[in-house]
Amino acid sequence: MAQKKEGKILGMERETFRQFMGKYGVSVVMLVMIIAIAIYNPRFLSGANMINVITQISINGMLAFGMCLCITIGGIDLTVGAQLALVGVIMGQTITNAGMPIFVGILIGVGVATLFGFINGFFIAKFNMFPFVVTLSMQLVIRGAAQVISGGKAITFGQAVKNMYYGKFIGIPYPILALLVVFVLMYIMFHWTKLGRYILAVGGNANAAVASGVSEFKIRVICHTLSGFLAGIGAVIMAAKTGSGQSNLGVGYETDAVAASVIGGTSFAGGIATMPGVLIGIFIVGFIYNGINMIGIDANWQSIIRGLVIIGTVMLDMAINGKSRK
Amino acid sequence: MKKVLAVVLASMMVLSLAACGGDDKEETKAPETQAETQAEKDTEAPAETDGAAETDGAAETQAPAGDEAKGGDVNGDGKIIVGYISKNLTDPFHGPINTHAEETFDALVADGTIDEWTKILDGQTLPDVQINCANDCITKGCDYVFIAPAEAEASDPAVTQMAEAGIKVIVFNSKTTSTDDVAWLFSGSDDVEAGRMLARWVVEKCPDGGKFIHCNGILGNSAQIQRTQGMKEIMESDENKDKFEMVADEDTQWSGEKAATAAENALAQYGDELVAVICDNDDMSSAAQSAVNAAGRTDIVCVGVDGNRTPLEMVKAGELGATVLQNGVGQLQAGIDAMVDDINGKAPASKNVDVPFVLVTADNVDEYLK
Repeated sequence: MAQKKEGKILGMERETFRQFMGKYGVSVVMLVMIIAIAIYNPRFLSGANMINVITQISINGMLAFGMCLCITIGGIDLTVGAQLALVGVIMGQTITNAGMPIFVGILIGVGVATLFGFINGFFIAKFNMFPFVVTLSMQLVIRGAAQVISGGKAITFGQAVKNMYYGKFIGIPYPILALLVVFVLMYIMFHWTKLGRYILAVGGNANAAVASGVSEFKIRVICHTLSGFLAGIGAVIMAAKTGSGQSNLGVGYETDAVAASVIGGTSFAGGIATMPGVLIGIFIVGFIYNGINMIGIDANWQSIIRGLVIIGTVMLDMAINGKSRK
Repeated sequence: MKKVLAVVLASMMVLSLAACGGDDKEETKAPETQAETQAEKDTEAPAETDGAAETDGAAETQAPAGDEAKGGDVNGDGKIIVGYISKNLTDPFHGPINTHAEETFDALVADGTIDEWTKILDGQTLPDVQINCANDCITKGCDYVFIAPAEAEASDPAVTQMAEAGIKVIVFNSKTTSTDDVAWLFSGSDDVEAGRMLARWVVEKCPDGGKFIHCNGILGNSAQIQRTQGMKEIMESDENKDKFEMVADEDTQWSGEKAATAAENALAQYGDELVAVICDNDDMSSAAQSAVNAAGRTDIVCVGVDGNRTPLEMVKAGELGATVLQNGVGQLQAGIDAMVDDINGKAPASKNVDVPFVLVTADNVDEYLK
């Protein structure tokens, strides 16, 4: 290999290149995807479609940021899909049926989601239960609660609620703004504050973290509470998007959130994650869905392609970075 | 070594995408030539038909060739692009509909009636995924989009968004809340009538009356509400209300397994007094019939709506008395016929196409069991 002899790759020092790819390898994967899809349908790159995709990924984005925190501390949050349903029907009951102001309905809905997140974290941290088991059970409880609250019926929202999804601020749809704000806040929290370092520490080596004075209990509860809160925000977007609160929404949404986190470099072994990585993971998942539709892939193959592209992306990232992902 | 692997994987990904999207590219390359040949066809051989007659209504499509080959170019981009948003790819009821869509639209592309179609977009029975698909159709520049809504309420933004973007939206199978206002066409069947057909069958088969149970679909679903309404209309009418008594109204959620359990429970509780199990779909009625047959009560009348494969086979085998078939393929075809007429410059006669349900018994089951 010629580059090896010169010690330079693409005009960069070898070591610099390695670090660059280590940090941004996933974005290279994303670029490859974008180019591949655009070759088959140039409309994919149009401004309208890009805005379309970013708006579409906003719900999964909220879930994935929360999921990433839970995976980083060595856990998982399987309740996020059910939270979408619960918050939706609570908003329906408060806003549409009880006639409360939209703001109050959202506050109650997101509050309940946050509370359920706290309960998840509390069970996991206090009783040292497996996160998978706790959140799997809570998923049933939360969806059940949504069924009880709605009576299995759909509750319609008015135009004012729908505008939160379809409305725009200087040409940018609100969900994109929400995604941007959440990303910036998560970035600051995760990479600039002590809390972020504690989360990584607990995920990397809980005993060492505890020995150096970090409260494992607190960190676990905080991560799950944040995941609940973010799922609540995602649910508000979902309610606005579908214009309806009903208990069967959001089934299986945890899968895409986990996929986005993992593609974004979050390690299931715990202790490894970056917020820009997760954001790119969210984009890649969105591009997979949109790309499949844009290219027009045969229906029966879509699911297989989705799965293979996710595995392929993670492998490609590993190969580029030369690091192991577990 | 790692870099080699990276390159190999990257090219594999690109290639796999290429393999699946191959024929789309061809079509985008040659819109002008296609338009020309289409125009030639129209002027020289107006009555030309081709071999696309394998699907029900496809043969009609070529017949009235209008002056303008591009009559259906709704958004004026020079191409007629058709979108198809399925309800899902996994439900046995929707499988044949999706297959029919694929065959028919491929044939329409081949004979030049339309330029492109999106292939089947997977709605996954999730309303917000359908909304995403709708937005994808808008950015793809579709002129006509067919959609089988997953939910009456929550899928509605998919229909309204596309209608606002100027697309002629053809809603089929079931309605969304604003379908009547914004959709270009609705093609479906009257679920209230299906409910009445269920009840009439039971009344006919059990002239002496008795106790029956009702197995619901997922509560709040429009098909569940309307079929129940039609069923009750007959069963609670003056002539029947003294003879028949509904002893249980089960929340069986379209699930055959739940319906079978409900039937077994009712049998244990009411024994000989139980005469019928009325179900909102026939996954449930066939499962319930199997359950009561296993208990030696083949006299119990189980009946439901849809015309899925298992119940049809049971009707043929004489294990199930009847099932009410919803002609899903017919619903889609009615929409396609209207679209093709529109492309040829003929406006649809009505915005609402009613495709009747069919009572399938041993007499006519062979027509529908293919």
